Amino acid sequence: MFRYILKRLFIFVPTLLVISLVVFMLGVYAPGDPVLNLLTQQSGGESMDDKKSGEEAYIKKWKELGMNLPVFYFTISSQASCDTIYRIHRKAHRETLEAMTNEYGNWNEVDLYYKQLQQFENTVLTFKPDSVSSRSWSRLRDNVSQLYLRGGESSFTELAMERMDKSTAKINDTLNVLVPALTDLKSSYQNVKSNATTWKKYIPSFNWYGFNNRYHQWITRFVRFDFGISYQDRKPIAKKIGDNIFWTMLISIISIILTYIIAVPLGVFSAIRKGTMADGITTTFLFILYSLPNFWIATLLIIFLCNPQYIQMFPAFGVGTEAAEGQSFFSALGIRIHHLILPLFCWTYGSLAFLSRQMRGGMLGVLRQDYIRTARAKGLPESKVIWKHAFRNSLLPVITIFANIFPLMISGSVVIEVIFTIPGMGKMLVDAMVAQDFPVVFTIVMMVATLTMIGYLIADILYAFVDPRITYSSKK
Amino acid sequence: MKLFNKKEKEVTEDSKDAPQTYWSYVKRQFMKNKRALYSLYIVIFLAFIAIFADFLSNDKPLVCKYESGIYFPVFREYAVDLGLANWQEEFNNALWNDLEYDWAIFPPVPYKNTTLDYDNSNYAGPFDKQEVRSTQWRHWLGTNKLGNDVLACMIHGTRIAFLVGIVSMGIAFFIGIFFGALAGFFGDDQLKMTRGRILMNILAFPLAIFYFSVFFEWSIIAGVLGFLAVFVLANLLGKAMDFVPWLNNKVKVPMDIIITRFIEIVVSVPVLILVLSVVAVFPPSIFLVMGVIGLVRWTGIARFIRAELLRVRSLEYVEAAYALGYPRWKILLRHAIPNALAPVFIAVAFGIAAAILTESFLSFLGFGIPIELNTWGQLLTQSRSAPKAWWLAIFPGFAIFITVTLFNLIGEGLTDAIDPRLKQ
Repeated sequence: MFRYILKRLFIFVPTLLVISLVVFMLGVYAPGDPVLNLLTQQSGGESMDDKKSGEEAYIKKWKELGMNLPVFYFTISSQASCDTIYRIHRKAHRETLEAMTNEYGNWNEVDLYYKQLQQFENTVLTFKPDSVSSRSWSRLRDNVSQLYLRGGESSFTELAMERMDKSTAKINDTLNVLVPALTDLKSSYQNVKSNATTWKKYIPSFNWYGFNNRYHQWITRFVRFDFGISYQDRKPIAKKIGDNIFWTMLISIISIILTYIIAVPLGVFSAIRKGTMADGITTTFLFILYSLPNFWIATLLIIFLCNPQYIQMFPAFGVGTEAAEGQSFFSALGIRIHHLILPLFCWTYGSLAFLSRQMRGGMLGVLRQDYIRTARAKGLPESKVIWKHAFRNSLLPVITIFANIFPLMISGSVVIEVIFTIPGMGKMLVDAMVAQDFPVVFTIVMMVATLTMIGYLIADILYAFVDPRITYSSKK
Repeated sequence: MKLFNKKEKEVTEDSKDAPQTYWSYVKRQFMKNKRALYSLYIVIFLAFIAIFADFLSNDKPLVCKYESGIYFPVFREYAVDLGLANWQEEFNNALWNDLEYDWAIFPPVPYKNTTLDYDNSNYAGPFDKQEVRSTQWRHWLGTNKLGNDVLACMIHGTRIAFLVGIVSMGIAFFIGIFFGALAGFFGDDQLKMTRGRILMNILAFPLAIFYFSVFFEWSIIAGVLGFLAVFVLANLLGKAMDFVPWLNNKVKVPMDIIITRFIEIVVSVPVLILVLSVVAVFPPSIFLVMGVIGLVRWTGIARFIRAELLRVRSLEYVEAAYALGYPRWKILLRHAIPNALAPVFIAVAFGIAAAILTESFLSFLGFGIPIELNTWGQLLTQSRSAPKAWWLAIFPGFAIFITVTLFNLIGEGLTDAIDPRLKQ
């Protein structure tokens, strides 16, 4: 048994690693710049005027999030690309430069061009335009900032250069002083193009970055239960989860208990009365229940039972925190139950139908066995045959289903929590996804994965306890 | 249908006493199950709607006479979409519903899922008075807030649901067959390689991924070819290293163990949550949804194939094929896999149901499918902000429910037909 558990753990670790890698890479390659998102949230928009302080704030935040480190332990890239490109702090710039190196295969020249572009930008920004040139100057500035973002498309770069030429080339304009700097920029761009080494793209290179990387930092903190802070409200994620996990767990546990209490007898009775009309009705009903998508039922319930336009029997959202405040214990409980009835129903009915179908199948299988016939033949009362001999043996598959139900409930909770606005893990996950709050998404996905696997392990162990014939230790 | 070859068919039709083939047996068993059979008929009907969605619901006429010329705009649309033709001058950027036709035959639903009817926006109900020219233009199932015709959205939603279900399971089918066949056919002791080749294959893996990503920029086929080419070269190199003493020892590759462990890892992944996070992060795309569902749902198929092949491997006819000197891959492709396919269809039927459910779940949460397509799940989610529009809650949800149930029933019917325990 012990060896078996060890073997299972042997699977868990790589599984968790794979999931963590997938989720982490999602966060890295997701569109959007988390640093920028955070900054704009805090200050309500980046002001163009004090570019310098904005840049400093950006770099500070960038370092704070640990994004100045390489992404992973190693990369397999091409000779053309740059192995220290992670040191460029602006994500948009990095992507533009990567696109350029990918096209021309010559990092050195691209790097020179980037430096030249920054220099040119400085020259442009320090220039004090007079009333005549101010319009062309602002156009020039826009072109430069566009070059950072869309410089990866060569056609766009050409166009921007041409436009900048026009803006600076007007006769008797003060902007003329910028012409030499622009010429430098253009020549460095020409260098990128003429010294292209496209072949380098096809030669792989392996870079080793060591342990000081973003993935390593994140995963080592994660194992120590240090989940970091949420991008959305700067709260520690552990605390956020602590606040939210209560409702998910509460409803899941009540729902599992309800499922077993109702489904097991239902399955047994339907199996005993096989072929009767009662069985037919139950079976059909359970099949329909099993196939009904829970988000449809939840939507229907919330529209038709929680609405003044139709019937208003239940509150439409929340868990009644405000209403229950200051009430006596029992009336508070009543309010909570009133709020939770519909979500609980939607949470439960699918697994209930699934479980009773399984129970019925298992029971039917057992009732066909020889020892049941023997028990009946020796004159045992039917109730004893059913409950003592058949029921116990048919419990076996039902126990293992626990492992499947548990993760299903957590995934299923996502949509129910969203519909009924229950402040649980599922709703938190969806909110975090919409807000691109990756630390929260990582944490929840990893937690669900861990819980899923613990569920499987518990099921395996239970299985061995219930059925003494099963041994995991000796094989072959 | 390649599987029913003509000769076998004739035999079963001629005489029922003659030995039946396995496939005709499965077919007969399936036909006996009326519930599953009718489900299959309805699914075929729905598939018909999905395929001809453009002819059933379109804002363009099927045939029309316009300014003394006869046109076939719906057909033309296919040509335009394929890049074979352009719109005629007079139809460029036309508002199809408002053109002054001499005469025109419209599809049964003269709207598309993306057509906005501004006169009937803001939830016009099926029984409400609608601002339409005639009964032909009525919105039989109502409209949503923007004025999309719900019936049109339902018809095109059928297409999206079927597309996602079938394509994603198609992807899963090939991945599953590939891994399942490798594990089941070779087992733990059938595949022997020299140490040199094993080493080269392991080393080739990262390189293959690199070349896949490099050539992927050209096209997906180039990427796959690049990937395979690296492995071919690695194996040739491994063979060339046979003169090195230690490296040329042949060892068994425990294919079955490796792949079973891999399957176990994929199975333990919480699928729904993972699919949700992948789809939520990237911009909406139907291909992403199909790909991701396909990539996580193949394990059931692989398990079926593996189990069947492990069984088939020791059957007499495979041994006979060996004895006749057929090459291993030929036995695998020609004899073993076709016989192992039957149970796989069970997994595919249930898988399509699950994929359609996943797609509507994602649409419902607002991830994955572009929002302007108005799929079933998206319509359903719109009903939450407008409780009075009951038609937005009832019809799309019912469509999801029916489609999922039908595929589940077919799956059950197949299980009953194929399960050997029921054989008398």
